[in-house]
Amino acid sequence: MRALAILIFIATPALAQQQQVTQGKALYDQHCTACHGANAGAGERAPAIVSAATSMRGARSDAQLMAIIRNGIPGTAMPAWNNRLSDSDIASIGAFIRALRGTALDNPLPGDVAHGEAVFWGKGQCATCHAISGRGSVIGPDLGNIAADRKVTAISDALTKPEHRVYGDGGVHLPAPPPMDYEPVHVVTKNGLAIDGVMRNQDAWSVQFTGMDGKLYSFDRAQLRSVTIKPGGIMPTDYDKRLSADEFKDLLAFLTRQGMRPGPSSGGGE
Amino acid sequence: MGLKHIALAGLMLLPVSVGAQPSINNPGPSAPGDWTIYPGSYNSQRHSPLKQITPANAHLLQVKWVHHISGSRELEMTPVVKDGVMYIAQYNRVDAIDARSGNVIWRYQRPPASTAAYRGTSVYDNKVFIATTDAHLVALDARSGGVVWDVAVDGGRRLSGMGPFLAKDKLIVGVLDQPDGYIQAYDPKTGKHLWTWHAIPRPEDPEYKSWSGNTKEGGGAIWMSGSFDPEQNAIIWGTGQPNPPYSNEVREGDNLYSDSIVAIDVDTGKLKWHFQTTPHDQHDWDATSGSQVLVDTNYQGKPRKLLLHADRNGFFYMLDRSNGKFLRGNSFIDDMNWASGLSPEGRPILLGDGAKPSVKGTLTCPSTAGATNWPSATYSPVTGWLYFHAVEGCGVNFRSSITPGAGTSYIESPDEQHRWVSHIRAMDPLTGKRMWDLTEVRSNHYGPGLMSTASGLLFAPEHFGQAAMLDARTGKRLWHFNTGDYITASPITYILDGRQYFAIASGTNIFTFGLPDAAPAAGGKP
Repeated sequence: MRALAILIFIATPALAQQQQVTQGKALYDQHCTACHGANAGAGERAPAIVSAATSMRGARSDAQLMAIIRNGIPGTAMPAWNNRLSDSDIASIGAFIRALRGTALDNPLPGDVAHGEAVFWGKGQCATCHAISGRGSVIGPDLGNIAADRKVTAISDALTKPEHRVYGDGGVHLPAPPPMDYEPVHVVTKNGLAIDGVMRNQDAWSVQFTGMDGKLYSFDRAQLRSVTIKPGGIMPTDYDKRLSADEFKDLLAFLTRQGMRPGPSSGGGE
Repeated sequence: MGLKHIALAGLMLLPVSVGAQPSINNPGPSAPGDWTIYPGSYNSQRHSPLKQITPANAHLLQVKWVHHISGSRELEMTPVVKDGVMYIAQYNRVDAIDARSGNVIWRYQRPPASTAAYRGTSVYDNKVFIATTDAHLVALDARSGGVVWDVAVDGGRRLSGMGPFLAKDKLIVGVLDQPDGYIQAYDPKTGKHLWTWHAIPRPEDPEYKSWSGNTKEGGGAIWMSGSFDPEQNAIIWGTGQPNPPYSNEVREGDNLYSDSIVAIDVDTGKLKWHFQTTPHDQHDWDATSGSQVLVDTNYQGKPRKLLLHADRNGFFYMLDRSNGKFLRGNSFIDDMNWASGLSPEGRPILLGDGAKPSVKGTLTCPSTAGATNWPSATYSPVTGWLYFHAVEGCGVNFRSSITPGAGTSYIESPDEQHRWVSHIRAMDPLTGKRMWDLTEVRSNHYGPGLMSTASGLLFAPEHFGQAAMLDARTGKRLWHFNTGDYITASPITYILDGRQYFAIASGTNIFTFGLPDAAPAAGGKP
């Protein structure tokens, strides 16, 4: 009995949290979507609560958000909900928004992290294109902070879904994401040199890409005979098949922990 | 052909008259077409060997691209360039930009976004280095922006905005003045802390006597990069004011090593020599201004190893940088009321109480904002002159009561005759003679930094936003472009595909200038 009690004690918070998020989503869909849009991503009458594009995300702490839900914002269309919903309902909506705002680092997946790391550097061959902490290749995105930048689903989708896009996953983004789409490219210079790589940026006059040799190339288009974007990505999207179930699960456990939380700011500047 | 090869091919077409001899007047670390540390070269001359853009063709300069740093404000940052990529550093953020097109290659942003003043970075060993607002030092992979290492600052204090400076395989960083300023060195490979030099003495140090035992408010902020002298194996750096800044009666003595130029052994972090510009300061005249310029030249018939420094207090100092001894100096402004000159040892000779701040307000010339400040000076070996931004005019320094340590403030003098006016000044450092003087219109404040080129140009932007090119010999205006925002940063030049560019931060943007694509360069060569 004692062992069972401990088990329940450990299991309950996570389960309860998940239930609260599910309830919160139902309540959000019922009361909030009309103004704030589906999944809090901005509606017709009110700003996004979770979005790369607005200052709402990240600018308000959880405590501030909860206070706004409870008390409303005087002088705006945002009503006070504390006399319409119970405290536990408001807490559930808060839990749902928190889950939407969170990245993989907030919700890392279970698994054998050390084994996942071995898969990353070994069988998964991830370092052929990616780097963590200066080790690996710079052809693809650096993954050292991936769990702080992306949600669990975005990381999992990148490994399994061909239609996955590198950007546009609802995770935490840079203020203005550079258009680095990592499309495979084949470039031929006017003097006949052919280079394969992945795109970093381009405009009507110039092209920047990382060669498969890991070097950055920048050309004036006048120097080039052709620039051919190849269809599809170079990132394999069948890791759930080329890895065993355990290997895949552990790789996700490893990746969803790659990142850091900055500490509070200290001191001033001159 | 990779980027590097293209750049090298371009370089071969240039007149190759520079960069061959490793002397203090051209000591690295940047290749002639690159700019890899804050001042460009260890000697802080901010003099480029590039000769493609000249007084004859500078009128053809045009904007090549502009890069906007979203969320920033009044950038005081000097970009660095290596192998065709420009790195724009701020606290918590680096933008890597294709130096040809202005296109983003990668961007690193660690939350939160910060607009605190940050002045640059170094590129070294395939890494770019920045400080964070949560007191870490971070190395990014220069190719991808990935974090290579991330360490907490030794001592736990946030690094100042001067940006990491690379000298002899060491990253040099600093912290501000409260409780005390210090310089630190880290290993750029690993982030390991190597040494710390404290500007403010501990009670057991002999220098403690120079504070009448009161160092409790500290001082000696390390907020500007200095220089590196490979021959002496020393970094040469400026320190900030003693605290409280305007009430010197509570800290009798010279207050070492505030307002000082210090030479620190780069391997051990030990002090080799010091020279204090403003002993017992009461006006916040940091010795950190943008000129710790190292020059080797003949003086009084002998080859000398010199340090040239135009100070915020209005005096120019020429030191023997092998021992810190004062050789000569002069006031470089017309409007000075706190000191009559310098003693044979280089100590200011005070007029009365040296314009002590008072309750009714004390006219102080130059003002606390400084006769010059962080924007860089430049030395041209071609003319042998030092060029710097000088501000004439006065401030009024107040204190709230006569109680020791009372609160203080300063304003620009409201008298028309003492209002701040910016000048670009050319001076022969060996004699103090003013060679020419250019009065800026409207600009009245810190102003941008300067740089010179071997072709005889002086890039001398104005505070109110004009990017301007002058003839270094005559001060004649050759070209200008209104960037539309304040300029309080220092400029650079670089070469890519055989074409020379100038770049500078203005407001929230980086502007890059070059000749029209079809324009013939100097002598008809590219």
